[in-house]
Amino acid sequence: MAKAAEIAVDPFESFAAAGARIVAVRGHELFEHAEGVLDTSDIERVHAMRVASRRLRAVLEIFAVCFEQDAFRDVLTDVKKLADALGERRDPDVHIDAMDAFAAAVGAQQRRGVQTLTNRLRERQAAGNEILASALQAAEHSDLAGRLQALAQTALESEPAASEPVEDPEPEA
Amino acid sequence: MKARKVKGLEPASTVGDNAERIVRTRLAELCSFMPRAGDPQEVEALHDMRIAAKRLRYILEVTGSCFGPYAETAVKVVKELQDLLGELHDCDVQLPEVASFSRELMLADAQAVLVRSPKRAADLDPKLVSRAPHRADYAGLAALEVFLRARRDLLFMTFESQWQELERKGFRARLEYAVSERAGALRPD
Repeated sequence: MAKAAEIAVDPFESFAAAGARIVAVRGHELFEHAEGVLDTSDIERVHAMRVASRRLRAVLEIFAVCFEQDAFRDVLTDVKKLADALGERRDPDVHIDAMDAFAAAVGAQQRRGVQTLTNRLRERQAAGNEILASALQAAEHSDLAGRLQALAQTALESEPAASEPVEDPEPEA
Repeated sequence: MKARKVKGLEPASTVGDNAERIVRTRLAELCSFMPRAGDPQEVEALHDMRIAAKRLRYILEVTGSCFGPYAETAVKVVKELQDLLGELHDCDVQLPEVASFSRELMLADAQAVLVRSPKRAADLDPKLVSRAPHRADYAGLAALEVFLRARRDLLFMTFESQWQELERKGFRARLEYAVSERAGALRPD
C-alpha cells in the first residue's frame, strides 16, 4: 500500500495555511488510488483507497474551522459517503482473508463449513463492489476531486479575516 | 461515537497552538475510556476507545512534528494501541456473524429434515439428520467460533498489559508535556 506523502508543517505557520496545503495533498492522494479499485482479485487497491479516504476525512475534520462552511459540509458529506462505500467492499475482503487463513490452517473436516461461510461473504463482497461503483460514479459526477481542491483554497482566501470563531464540526466514528 | 468538541480553534492562529488544543482533547478522550474498557465484556467501550485512538493518531500524524520529540514516539504507541483494539473489534464483529450463519444453516436443515420425513409419520426419525444438507458445515463453524473466542481473550489480555505499560511509562503526562513544546525554533514574540 502506498504511504501517504510526508507534509512538512511548521508549528508557527497559520492553521489555515497548513490546512489548505494538507487537504489539497490528501484530496489528490484519494483519487490516485481509484484505478483498479473494483478488481476483487487485488484487495490491496481498495484497502489503499480506504486508508486514503480515512486520512482525508481526518484532516478535513481537524482543519474544519479553516474552510468556507457550506462548501466544507457538502464536501465532508460526500467524502464520508465514499468512505462508507469503500468500507462496504473492504469489510468482506478482510473477513474473507481471515477465513481463508483459518481454513488453510485447519483439517479438511473443519474446512468445509468455513468455505461455506466464505461463499456467503463473497456475495457480500460483490454487493459491496456495486455500492462502491455507484459511489465512485457519484464522486466523479459531482467532481469531488475538483471541489476538494477548491475547498482547500477557501482556507487561504479567508485567512486574513480568519479570527472569527467558527463552529467546530462533530466528527463521527 | 461523537468526538468531544475542541474549543477555541482559530484559523489565523498557529498550527502548534491549535494542534495542541486538539491533541489535549483527544488524549483526554482516549484516557476517559479506562477503567471501563478494562472490562472484557464492555464491547462498546472498547470500540469507542479504538475510535478515540484513531482520532488521536491522525492529529499526531499530521502535526506531531510541531511538538517535542515524544509526540513522534506517541504516534507509534497510539497506532499499536489502535491496531490491537481493531483486531479485538474484528473478533467482536465476526463472532455474532459466525453464530448467526450457523443458526441460519441449522434452521434450513431442520426444514429439509422435516420435508424428508414420511407423510403422516407419528414422530421424526433421527436418522434423517445424517442426511441434512449442511451436516458437514457445522464442525468447521464451531471450530471457527472457538478460535475467535480464544483469540479475543488473548488480544484482550495483550490490551490490558499494553495499557498498564503505557501508564507505567507515563504516556499521558509525557505527551501532554511534548505538546506544550514547539519543535525547531523558539516561540516568536
